Amino acid sequence: MQTSSVPLTVDDIVRLRRKKQTVQFGFYFILFILVLWSIQATVIDDTDWERIGSLADIGKSVSHFIGIDFALIPNLLGPTIETFMIACIGTILGLIICLPAMWFGALNVTPYKPITYPLARIAMTLSRSIHEIVWALIFVSAVGLGAFAGILAIAVRSLGFIAKMSAEAIENIDPKPVEAIRAMGGSNLQVMLYGIMPQVLPVILGIVIFEWEINIRRSAILGLVGAGGLGLVFFRQMNTFNYPGVTTVILAIFGLIVVGEITSHYSRKALN
Amino acid sequence: MANKTGEHNLPVHSSVGGDGVHREWSRFKFPRSLINYGILLGILLFFSYSVYYLNIPLERIMGMFGRLGDLMADRYFPPDMDYIVDLGYLDAIIETIQMAYLGSLFGLLISIVLGWFAAHNVSPSPKYIYPIARLLTMGCRSVHEMIWAILFVTILGFGLLPGVLALTMFSIGFSGKLFAEEIESIQMGQVEAIRAMGGNHLQVFVYGVFPQVRVAFTGIAIYTWDVAFRAATVVGFVGAGGMGWYLKRNVMQIETERVAAILISIVGLVVISEFVSAWARIRVSKAK
Repeated sequence: MQTSSVPLTVDDIVRLRRKKQTVQFGFYFILFILVLWSIQATVIDDTDWERIGSLADIGKSVSHFIGIDFALIPNLLGPTIETFMIACIGTILGLIICLPAMWFGALNVTPYKPITYPLARIAMTLSRSIHEIVWALIFVSAVGLGAFAGILAIAVRSLGFIAKMSAEAIENIDPKPVEAIRAMGGSNLQVMLYGIMPQVLPVILGIVIFEWEINIRRSAILGLVGAGGLGLVFFRQMNTFNYPGVTTVILAIFGLIVVGEITSHYSRKALN
Repeated sequence: MANKTGEHNLPVHSSVGGDGVHREWSRFKFPRSLINYGILLGILLFFSYSVYYLNIPLERIMGMFGRLGDLMADRYFPPDMDYIVDLGYLDAIIETIQMAYLGSLFGLLISIVLGWFAAHNVSPSPKYIYPIARLLTMGCRSVHEMIWAILFVTILGFGLLPGVLALTMFSIGFSGKLFAEEIESIQMGQVEAIRAMGGNHLQVFVYGVFPQVRVAFTGIAIYTWDVAFRAATVVGFVGAGGMGWYLKRNVMQIETERVAAILISIVGLVVISEFVSAWARIRVSKAK
């Protein structure tokens, strides 16, 4: 981008640097003012400091949570398995409903660009921008309470991420195998199966395993709106003010997530 | 060229040892193919067992779409747009933005330090501080933001402060890991130079590590804000302020048309924030 051949004088350099510094300073100043404004509005105005009380009171509230409710542990096994299964089935269902979205959302294979491409993009954005709690609410009102609503919520919620990443993977494939199969007279389906699928399958599997790991975390809270699993136990403990029980449930969630993370780490390693 | 074709010259039919045994070529050899099928079968069995265990009414799946459609058309359809241009609701939107901004800011400030401690190559004490910092970021990440919000609401009462703290924890978990990974992939030359000059750990971080990761950190910070905003739209659901509270109230009162309007506003805001964050990240990576 060297447009002018005239070399910059020292004055020019100093002036440019000053200008840059002013812009930077203004930017930081605006950020700082925003921080002050936000603190003023959220922390100072909106907080009921009398309810919170002194630091000792906060310490007292926190100390309620210390301890483990051993009597609860045998009752946790069922919900833990349920949470795990909701995450697994939800991810697989998400992958299945995601296949058309991937196909429509990748620019190089989308069947009819002006309609199918925006359609897939809208579906992805919708799925990613609505929180899993809200999805679960919608599905609970459609199919009733239970694990099924949770599975649907997880599936719809994971569509966005899987489809977006996979569509990018499809857009970045090597076009030569595709051309070779076209040249041999392969149909669109054959191009799909033999030209594109083998190239993107490992990538998609990696994405799905990653999303599965996130879905375990999500499925652990879906019980809050009546979709079963550990979240329901958590909510029940919370409502009966059994705070050591709450800690126990959180530890169970933590353990499940550690297991999921280790599995995902090693299976993604095995894929490569 | 001849060599190359020779390498890939896998025959479709091969006669082993000249005895003319007819064999189909397959991608995986015998033990490997068995293991692959075994894994696939195991996964399938697990899924069918889970469907049975969770009591999923498979026969209701087909009817579900019709009911969902009816539900949308009957109850959610004309979204009550007047409700979301109401002054109180607009106030809640601003509160949500402030909450996300503050939460991610506090979280990022903490996770810069935590990321430094949790990066194996420059951690002040790889033996003691490193595992603790790792555990802290992982703990923050594994507990969902809604659970953080519930916990803080029980301790501090309703309001925006518990929301800000919940988002802080969420941002620590989200960005702490990314920061640590970013620090672990730096070039060690500068770090060693400063260590050789007798710089202490803080000097190593400030002069050796931070200049290398500054740009990447800014990108991660913007992304964290974007994700935190998405989470902020619903933490109010358990009483932590912002738009989530309006959502909860209308869901409880079965004001479905208002719920539809709120959902539309959430999607709109998230899309805007996504565009802003994408634009800012491109600007940052260009500015270097």
